[in-house]
Amino acid sequence: MNEHHYQQLNETIYSQQLENGLWVQVLPKMGFHKTYAILTVDFGSIDRSFIPIGKDEPITVPDGVAHFLEHKMFEKEDHDAFDLFGQLGADSNAFTSFTQTSYLFSATEHVHESLDVLLDFVQSPYFSAKTVEKEKGIIGQEIKMYDDDPNWRLYFGLLGNLYPEDPMHIDIAGSVDSIAKITPQDLYTTYNTFYQPSNMNLFIVGNVDAQQTLDWIDKNQAAKSFDQSTEPQVEFELNDETGGDVIPFRTLEMDVNRPKVMVGVRGINVVQSGKAGLQYRLAVELLLDILFDDTSDNYLRLYNNETIDDSFSYNFEMQRSFHFAYFSSDTDQPERFSDEIISILEGATQQIDAAASQFENIKRAMLGRMISLLDSPEAIANHYSGKLFGGTNLLDEITSLAAVEIDDLYKIATDFIQSQGISVYQIVPKRN
Amino acid sequence: MDFKLTDGVDLHIISTPQFKTNQILINFSTQQSEKNITARSLVADLLETSTHKYPTQTALARQTSSLFGAYVGTNVGRYGNLHALRVRASFVNDQYAVPGLTEQVISLLHEMIFQPLIDNNAFDEPTFNLQRNNLRSSIQALDEDKQFYAAMKLREIYFADNSLLKIPSFGRLSDLDELTPESLVETYRAMVTNDRINIIVLGNVDEKRIVEQFKQFEFQPREAQFGSLFYQQELVATPKVQTETQVLNQSKLNLAYQLPIYYQDADYYASLVMNGILGGSPLSKLFVNVREKASLAYYANSQPNAFNGLFSIQTGIQSDSQKQAQRLIKEQVTAVIEGEFTAELLQEVKDGIINQYETSLDVSSNIVEQVLLDKITNTKTNDLAKKINQVTTADVMRVAAQLKLQATYYLNGDLN
Repeated sequence: MNEHHYQQLNETIYSQQLENGLWVQVLPKMGFHKTYAILTVDFGSIDRSFIPIGKDEPITVPDGVAHFLEHKMFEKEDHDAFDLFGQLGADSNAFTSFTQTSYLFSATEHVHESLDVLLDFVQSPYFSAKTVEKEKGIIGQEIKMYDDDPNWRLYFGLLGNLYPEDPMHIDIAGSVDSIAKITPQDLYTTYNTFYQPSNMNLFIVGNVDAQQTLDWIDKNQAAKSFDQSTEPQVEFELNDETGGDVIPFRTLEMDVNRPKVMVGVRGINVVQSGKAGLQYRLAVELLLDILFDDTSDNYLRLYNNETIDDSFSYNFEMQRSFHFAYFSSDTDQPERFSDEIISILEGATQQIDAAASQFENIKRAMLGRMISLLDSPEAIANHYSGKLFGGTNLLDEITSLAAVEIDDLYKIATDFIQSQGISVYQIVPKRN
Repeated sequence: MDFKLTDGVDLHIISTPQFKTNQILINFSTQQSEKNITARSLVADLLETSTHKYPTQTALARQTSSLFGAYVGTNVGRYGNLHALRVRASFVNDQYAVPGLTEQVISLLHEMIFQPLIDNNAFDEPTFNLQRNNLRSSIQALDEDKQFYAAMKLREIYFADNSLLKIPSFGRLSDLDELTPESLVETYRAMVTNDRINIIVLGNVDEKRIVEQFKQFEFQPREAQFGSLFYQQELVATPKVQTETQVLNQSKLNLAYQLPIYYQDADYYASLVMNGILGGSPLSKLFVNVREKASLAYYANSQPNAFNGLFSIQTGIQSDSQKQAQRLIKEQVTAVIEGEFTAELLQEVKDGIINQYETSLDVSSNIVEQVLLDKITNTKTNDLAKKINQVTTADVMRVAAQLKLQATYYLNGDLN
């Protein structure tokens, strides 16, 4: 068992890789009532082409399989995992992203039993033609619900501009048509390929003893037999690494009161993995804050001339094999909004000069917000990004933040903000 | 520790080492009226925009940024017949930042409450105009969230014609034009002078210093006696029905029942368990039968409101399954009334509620909300687990039998 104590933050993380390859991390939170555990599989919606375990040729599965699998893992031949957690008084849930699938529970009692339920239901597949058919109705409604949400449409509309030929532009749940094609065999194939212990990690935060928890998990895993681990062979290649396929502008009519606009920046450069990747992410986030957060002169100017309002937001997402930033607002001046945002981005170097006096302040604010996350077991565990940043966690992020200097921002700005990666997507009110 | 700052102004401090952040909530509550709801919502927006010392959003944001990214803001809500304007702060504890941070945040709250950007008895006009436009836009934008939209429509139908609860706590568009920079000063002054004020501070703090600092807030004594907190209305004999069609992928079917059981009533805990069995959990009858077995919906759930007696059920469905969904929902209600649920389910729902409650004690803002609720209702939440565990099948059946269907709202999405 490895032990890492973060003295300034008064937290300790224990970790261990089990014999079968499963990575386990435990962060005890004394004084807390609950324990939160999340089991993550390194498999998400973009992993649709891969070589199935034991085979030689790549296959492509229907869009939405990772998410469909997430739904179907709970249901077994004679019971439902939801019910088992219910019997233990625990809350359980799951979610799927572009590159991960996660299963979780939170409980104040019966933590040992709940951990067994979590590991057992994720490690014992059961899919039948009948239950797969039934799930299509439920997921179909989930997809339709999101289709009616203009903010969701805006986000995926922009992704469709940034990655028109890559799987990131497709809704994580797939479409009603694509899920209609999913068979139990697809689920078994993806399950067997990706749900190997060596392709998973378990993160536990809360009212637990680290050694005891690791012993429980070890015992659970030792009682099961797994095939020899084989690293999943995902066939992923961007359609155009240079971003030459980015669609600069598209617009959609929908039943909204005011136009919504989103500007996106697709990172074209290749970012190093491991800790360097984490440093890159922190630096981009600081860069965006210095240019756009509510302490900036840009924000005040755009707010006062009513180009943006309180609906303005921006974000940076970095995942396995891609990263992008986006800026959005409801606005009566969508063209002005995109012109202004793009002009600020393209003049980033001068903008950093102008805002340099705010840098320390902005860094301090980010530090404060990150420390605040340590009060949330969910935030700590969900922040763990596994292999992407070399196994670093939220505590490492906080420690790394101090090392980012304003000089780093200049280089990051030129690496990240490249004209061919910029795109605009609008949703405008439907004309009657 | 409880401390009375003056008549009608109470300070409650929870000193705990559990968290790395501190929370402060200053709640201003008063009887809601036709006039004050929208006005108070806009006052809340103005208070968090600027002050005399920090006359722009940017100046204020730079101050919070230097306070280690402290969150400082306002919002509005309601407790039955009371309207609540809340000033809230959340920030890192001094030991992870710098000594004196807590005091600096409290000073900023003082500045926001007592030194808003008012000159010559009027709020700064450009700020007023901008924030009024923004409030208008944000109210209009709410229609885009169809789940929320359907819930608001159901409330509109459910509440009696003369009921103030028809007006959302964040205000309504038709009132906005009548507000002026001068009229809002009156609203603001009435709030600071007459509202009942509860201040709650939680964190790893020095109680004595907190008290000393809040003593310097210039609150004058006030009467702050209000009528009943709980809203009640007559039953209607025939449930109201409304249907609306929009071009959507998913339809929404929402039902409103009256359930006249109020916060901390004798049957209050039984009503929580009843809700858990009917639609308040993934083990519930609605989730299992409407979603899982019939595959009709992605969401199908219920929630009680212990301040206004509205018990609502909401579903997102295909338009051609409206009748089937409606029938299934009514069957689930009848099943609970008739006690058609196992002892296991009863126990699981109870364990789930207890787990959720205990889990909420790990979230500092939840603790603060719970304490505020105790103060406003003059009750105390203790022995929740015991009270929940005492609920019997007969209690659940008796509570469910009080559900009276009052309104149905159907948003027909004709695309699906």
